[in-house]
Amino acid sequence: MADQAFEAVVAMHHAEIYRYLARVTRRPSDVDDLCQETFLRAYRAHAALPPGSNVRAWLFTIATNLCRNHWRSEARRRRAQEAMTYRAEREDSAGPEGEAVVEQANGRLADIVAMLPLKQRLAFTMRKIHELDYNAIGQSLECSGESARAHVFQALRKIRRGLGELAIAPIGTGDRET
Amino acid sequence: MSTANPTCREIEPDLVALAAAEASAAATRRVEMHLAECAECRTELTRYRAIEGMMAGLRQAPAPGGDPTLARAELESRLADLRSRLVRFGVFESALGPILIGATEQGVSVVEYLASSRAASAKLARAHAESVEDRPRIQGLFRELAEYLEGRRTRLDWPLDLRLSGSDFQRRVLEATSALPFGAVRSYAGIAREIGAPRASRAVAQALRHNPLPIVVPCHRVVGSEGDLVGYAGRKLSLKQRLLSLEGLRVGGHGEALHVDRNAVYYCHLQDTEYCLPTCGSIGDKPLTDFTLYGSRARAEAVGLAPCTSCRPDLHPLPA
Repeated sequence: MADQAFEAVVAMHHAEIYRYLARVTRRPSDVDDLCQETFLRAYRAHAALPPGSNVRAWLFTIATNLCRNHWRSEARRRRAQEAMTYRAEREDSAGPEGEAVVEQANGRLADIVAMLPLKQRLAFTMRKIHELDYNAIGQSLECSGESARAHVFQALRKIRRGLGELAIAPIGTGDRET
Repeated sequence: MSTANPTCREIEPDLVALAAAEASAAATRRVEMHLAECAECRTELTRYRAIEGMMAGLRQAPAPGGDPTLARAELESRLADLRSRLVRFGVFESALGPILIGATEQGVSVVEYLASSRAASAKLARAHAESVEDRPRIQGLFRELAEYLEGRRTRLDWPLDLRLSGSDFQRRVLEATSALPFGAVRSYAGIAREIGAPRASRAVAQALRHNPLPIVVPCHRVVGSEGDLVGYAGRKLSLKQRLLSLEGLRVGGHGEALHVDRNAVYYCHLQDTEYCLPTCGSIGDKPLTDFTLYGSRARAEAVGLAPCTSCRPDLHPLPA
C-alpha cells in the first residue's frame, strides 16, 4: 500500500528533481548520485510524512539539503569550478551572430549561475526554473520566505550585471515590451 | 540605471519584482513613477524582462547532461533492494518493559527487550540493518504480542525474516525452536539432536543466546539437560520464568537457580505419540534430554498427543 504510493511519487517527481539537480550541480555523475540518494532518503522517510503534505516541496527540500552537504566538500567545488572555467573560455570564442548570440547569452547565464553562492543558486533555480513559491524555497534552505526572495533577487542582480548587453530576450520566448 | 542615483538603487527590488510579474500594486506604482523620469531604469526593466524570458526558455529546455531515464531505472532497482532490506520498527511499552519490534517486507526480523526506549536505533545500527521508525505499520504486530503476554493468544503466526540471523546453523536452530509448541519445553541437547548435530548442544545454546526474535522464536522453551533455565536475553532469567509460567509451566528455585519442576509436567519421549506422567514406568532412567515436557494435558493434547495407556494421565492427572 505505502510502497505503491511511493512508486507514484517516483513516477510523478523523478524527472523534475533530476532536472533541478542537473541545473544546480552540472556534473552528470553527481546528478545521478544525488538524485538517487534523494529518493532513497525519501523512501525511508515517506512513512513518517504527515498525510496531505506537499510531496513536491518535500522532495526539493531533501534534494537541496543533499546538495548543500555535497558542496561543503571544497575539493568538489574546485573541480566544478575548473570544469566551468573551461566552458566559459570555449563559449567566449564563438562568434556573436544571430542564434549564436542566444546561445552565448544562455551559456554566459549558466556560467554566472554556476558562480553564484550556493544558497542563491539553489533559490534562483527553485524559483525561476521550477517555480516553487518563496515559502517552499525558504523551507528547503531553512530560512524565511522573505530571505528566499532576497536570495533570488541577489541572484538576478548578479545575472543582470554579468550578462551586460547579452540580456536580450531570445527569439520566440519571453515577454517583450510592446 | 545609474548606480550613483540612490532612488535607482532603492527601486531595483521593486523593478525586479515587476519584471517577474510578482510586484504588489504599490510597488508597481512606485516603479512606474520612477520610470517616467528615468530612461536608464526603463532599459533595466527591459533587460530584467529579457532575463525572465531566457528563464522561460530554460524551463522548456531538457536538463543539461546525464540521462534521467537511465537514472530512473537504476533508482528503481536500488529501491527494490532497499524495500526488501529495510527494517521498519516501532518501540512499545509491553508487560515485559520497552520492546522493539522490527519487520521487513518478508517478515518480522527483530524483537528486542530494550533497557530504555531510546536504545532502539543503536541496536539496529549494530545489526547493520537499514531501519526506519514506522510505528503505525508495526502496531498490529505489537497488539498481537500484547495479547500473547496477557495470555489471550497462544500463537504468533508471523512470517519471519531470518536473513539477519547469522549462520545457516543458527537458522536451523531457530527453525527447530520455532516448532516448539506453546506450553512445552525441550533441552538444548534435544534441539541439537533434532537438527542432526547431537553433540552441538553448546552451540545450540550459543545460537539461541543471539536469537534475534525472542518470544516469536520461543527460545524461552529451551532449557538445560536437567530442566534448569540456564539463561535468557543476557541477564533476564526472570523474564524466561514469566514466559514459561504464562504457558502453564511451573518453575521452581530462586535467583539464578531456576528450573522447570520435573514432577509437575507431562513427558513425551522423542517422536512418541503419547504423553506420560513423570512417574510412568516407560520413562525409567532415560535422560531428560530425550523428552519434550508439557505444562498441562491440554497443551499436550493440543499438539495431537494421546494419554499413555499404561500410566493413564487422563485418569490420574497431576494436581493443577
